[in-house]
Amino acid sequence: MKRRGNRKKRIEALTAYGFLLPNLVGLTVFVFVPMVYAFYVSLNDWNLLTPKVFIGFDNYIQMSHDKDWWQAVGRTFKFTIIYVPSLFCLSLFFAAVCNSLSQRVENVTRTLFLLPFAITSVISAAIWMFLYDPKDGIINQFLNLVGIDAQQFLGSTSQAMISIIVVVIWINLGYNMMIFLASMKEIPGEFYEAAKIDGATGWKAFQHITFPLLRETSVFILVVTTIGSFQVFDQIMVMTKGGPANSTQVGVLYIYHQAFEVLNMGYASALSVVLFLIIFILSLVQLRLTAKKD
Amino acid sequence: MKFWKSFVVMAMALTLILGGCSSSKSNGEAKDGGKVTVTFWDNHIDAEQKYLKDLVNEYNKSQDKVKVVYKGFNANDYMTTKLPVAFANNEGPDVFMISPGDFTKYANAGIMADLNPYFPDGAKADFQEAAINAVTIDNKVLALPFESELVGLYYNKKMLADAGVEVPKTWDELQAAAKKLTTDKVSGIVLPQEKDAYLNFIWYPFLWQQGGNVISEDGKKSNFNSPEVVKALDFWGSFFQKGYAPAKTPFGSSDIGNLGTGKTAMQVSGTWAISAIESKYSNMDIGLAPLPVSEGGQAKTVAGGWKLAANAHGKHVKEASDFIMWAFAEDPSRPLKWATEVKFAYPARNSVIEAGEEIYNKGLRKVFTDEMYDTLTPEPFYGPEIVDVVGDSLQKVMFSKAKGSDVVKEADQKIQDALDKQ
Amino acid sequence: MGTKRKIPLSIFAIICGIFMILPIYFLVIGSFKMPNDVFELEVNFSHLTFDNFRAAFETPIIRSIWNSLLVSTVVTVVALIFHAMSGYALARLEFPGKTFVFGWMISTLMVPFTVIMIPLYMVTKNLGMANSYLGLIIPMIFNAYGIFLFRQFYRDFPKELEEAAYMEGLSIAGAFFRIVLPLSKPIIIPLTIGFFTANWNNYLWPLIINQNEKLWVVQVALANVIGAEHETQWTLVLAAALVCALPMFILFFIMQKYLVEGVKMTGIK
Repeated sequence: MKRRGNRKKRIEALTAYGFLLPNLVGLTVFVFVPMVYAFYVSLNDWNLLTPKVFIGFDNYIQMSHDKDWWQAVGRTFKFTIIYVPSLFCLSLFFAAVCNSLSQRVENVTRTLFLLPFAITSVISAAIWMFLYDPKDGIINQFLNLVGIDAQQFLGSTSQAMISIIVVVIWINLGYNMMIFLASMKEIPGEFYEAAKIDGATGWKAFQHITFPLLRETSVFILVVTTIGSFQVFDQIMVMTKGGPANSTQVGVLYIYHQAFEVLNMGYASALSVVLFLIIFILSLVQLRLTAKKD
Repeated sequence: MKFWKSFVVMAMALTLILGGCSSSKSNGEAKDGGKVTVTFWDNHIDAEQKYLKDLVNEYNKSQDKVKVVYKGFNANDYMTTKLPVAFANNEGPDVFMISPGDFTKYANAGIMADLNPYFPDGAKADFQEAAINAVTIDNKVLALPFESELVGLYYNKKMLADAGVEVPKTWDELQAAAKKLTTDKVSGIVLPQEKDAYLNFIWYPFLWQQGGNVISEDGKKSNFNSPEVVKALDFWGSFFQKGYAPAKTPFGSSDIGNLGTGKTAMQVSGTWAISAIESKYSNMDIGLAPLPVSEGGQAKTVAGGWKLAANAHGKHVKEASDFIMWAFAEDPSRPLKWATEVKFAYPARNSVIEAGEEIYNKGLRKVFTDEMYDTLTPEPFYGPEIVDVVGDSLQKVMFSKAKGSDVVKEADQKIQDALDKQ
Repeated sequence: MGTKRKIPLSIFAIICGIFMILPIYFLVIGSFKMPNDVFELEVNFSHLTFDNFRAAFETPIIRSIWNSLLVSTVVTVVALIFHAMSGYALARLEFPGKTFVFGWMISTLMVPFTVIMIPLYMVTKNLGMANSYLGLIIPMIFNAYGIFLFRQFYRDFPKELEEAAYMEGLSIAGAFFRIVLPLSKPIIIPLTIGFFTANWNNYLWPLIINQNEKLWVVQVALANVIGAEHETQWTLVLAAALVCALPMFILFFIMQKYLVEGVKMTGIK
């Protein structure tokens, strides 16, 4: 009996590795090896154009007192702290709204929300630059109607970041809502009927039935959105190039600046190793905090 | 299950197509019937790209030893990613366009071949001295200049007349004009907003007018902590701090569309704007004047423009350089066509300007030719760290309400550090 | 919930939806405008034109749509199968090193692409895939996003189904491919949309890995329309961008049909 159990376990483990094999190989070759190489580059002085010079941990020492870098990291955190909860709550909220609509209205709403996701970030960023225009952008025209002065938005050091966050939420809201919605649809109707008998409807039903059953999806959205928020690049590049006065220069933008504008690839690699460690720890904490307490 | 079947069938079909397609590889290095293949990378599009493609075709037909293969990439990513990645992998093109902003990086890396040996007899003397000096390091001519783009002040004649404003000639007049012309709908003047090489490029002449400069003549000492820099920074920053110049424009800040569509009354822009003014915005009455001058200063403008370089590590330096010379250092009709028909710029050769005299006196071009050409200074080639520091200082006076005197000290130190490292 | 209460909610949802597509309205209307009117708010109907589309059709965008379709479809299909397998193994199967494998895979999500771009280019080139469809496709198949989402999905998957399959003598693989995977549609549909869109809009990698104009994908072609140094023809760019986005819009409408009901639970009955 015990031996058969072992055999079964062995088969299960073998099947598991069989299932994992294509991705293990692919991720190793196309992500992990480049990652290791990037780490190696971080120990070098390399301007891309001439051969690398090994300098040990000098890049890391330089980074430790690079004020611009730590400010950029700070801005990344600011971005994350505003962006992640906003996107999470909004997509959950609209998923719940959609879920309680009739099928036809739901379809229309879902499609409308999803359309921004289809447009290349470069173009959607360009459209928003027009909407945000300080002189005759539609948002300022609307503000004028309700008696508020025209705002600078992307041209202001205090508003640029939040203006960009709005755009990034606008792009991703529909897609994240759809993922929430997909798992909401998996909750059997009987659960709600049972709750109804106990007098739990509306918000209460959402709080006690829907949300707990969305745990796995929520963890996914939370972790992936956080990682994504550390890598937002295109939209910022198009709308502000990190300006005005560096107020939207987040970590990845600074890395790109060092790598390709200053051609400091070794230093840029060291910065990304550190950024990687920051995201890694952050994700680990998120996964721990949200882990099932079995 | 039907869903799945169609899924799998589709995947299989596509895999088959892929297998068929991937075998048709093309490689630029291959020899073509005993000919040497020279790759040529470029960042131009539309008419300019077509001209360069035609040029390549003409060259390929004119002789049977070398085949030039042209590849065009868009302007934004060509310089920042495409070219560095290629060179990092020792796959750099034999001939490539290089922007002035990146010249120093490539020069320091020894990527560009010395073109001196390849000039046809007497051709080098035909080039303007300043233009050749700008690309010469340690007596090596590292790239061939073939165009100079000058910068001036474009303005909307009607708006100025309606507001009773004369065309500004001095800094004070420019500021007064910008103030008077700024309304809810129209900005007084458009100046570049984002931190990049273009911002510095447009700012330099205002510094030079007072006799100032970013670094000393011998290139060893930072001159950034100087009254001229402070004055130029404050002057520039005031347009943004007082709201005469928009912090954001719908068109790019070097695009004359801002002026052409009536969004601004004045705009500092370059020779490249003329063709758009004549074709797209001919309904607007647009005037042109030299950049206003500081009190007691000297008229100055800046000249930029892309250059052509040969890859020093390439297999075919000679063939690559020969092509560059054939294109822009031999028959004057080729550079003339580029600088007059394809776009408007000044060629770097005296004989070409003479040949095109008629065109250089047409319409707004005459203002550049008569009033600005003699005041031009070629764009300086600073290393990326210095470009960065200058850009940061400008951003601070523009958007952080800083004064020039607040920022020059720290910037001066950073520039000195960068110079000491070289 | 009663139908009565749904009416205000429906109106609210639709109004929010309309706000969401308002910026797209400017994209659409802008693509029909004359070049000089592009940033004007008012729409002058006598000033609308099809010229921008005519010009857009003359750019390499149309030709590049086929390449993008091919690349995006293959990446999506292959990635979905591979990611589902891995996600399932991580969620439901016991094997040594599971936590480590999961953590390792998730960590691959965290590297900024700009930094691994150059080594990735080297790897891909050394495998002989540069300037071919393979180079555009294969490196893009592997990422932990799908694996992670499948894992989360399968962790909630009802055990009864697999147990029933084992009773009928199916192996683990058999149960997965014949019972579990076909019932994974609710998660496959959003991921199809996600993968397809991500690859359709991918720009930097195709730009770097490919020098061959015949293999241009839409975003590279579009960048070429945008990328003049001093001048952007906005009406043309907007028209071209709209043409680029149309296949995505069509995909979204088709996929809507499959998003209708949760499949997993109906499968049990």
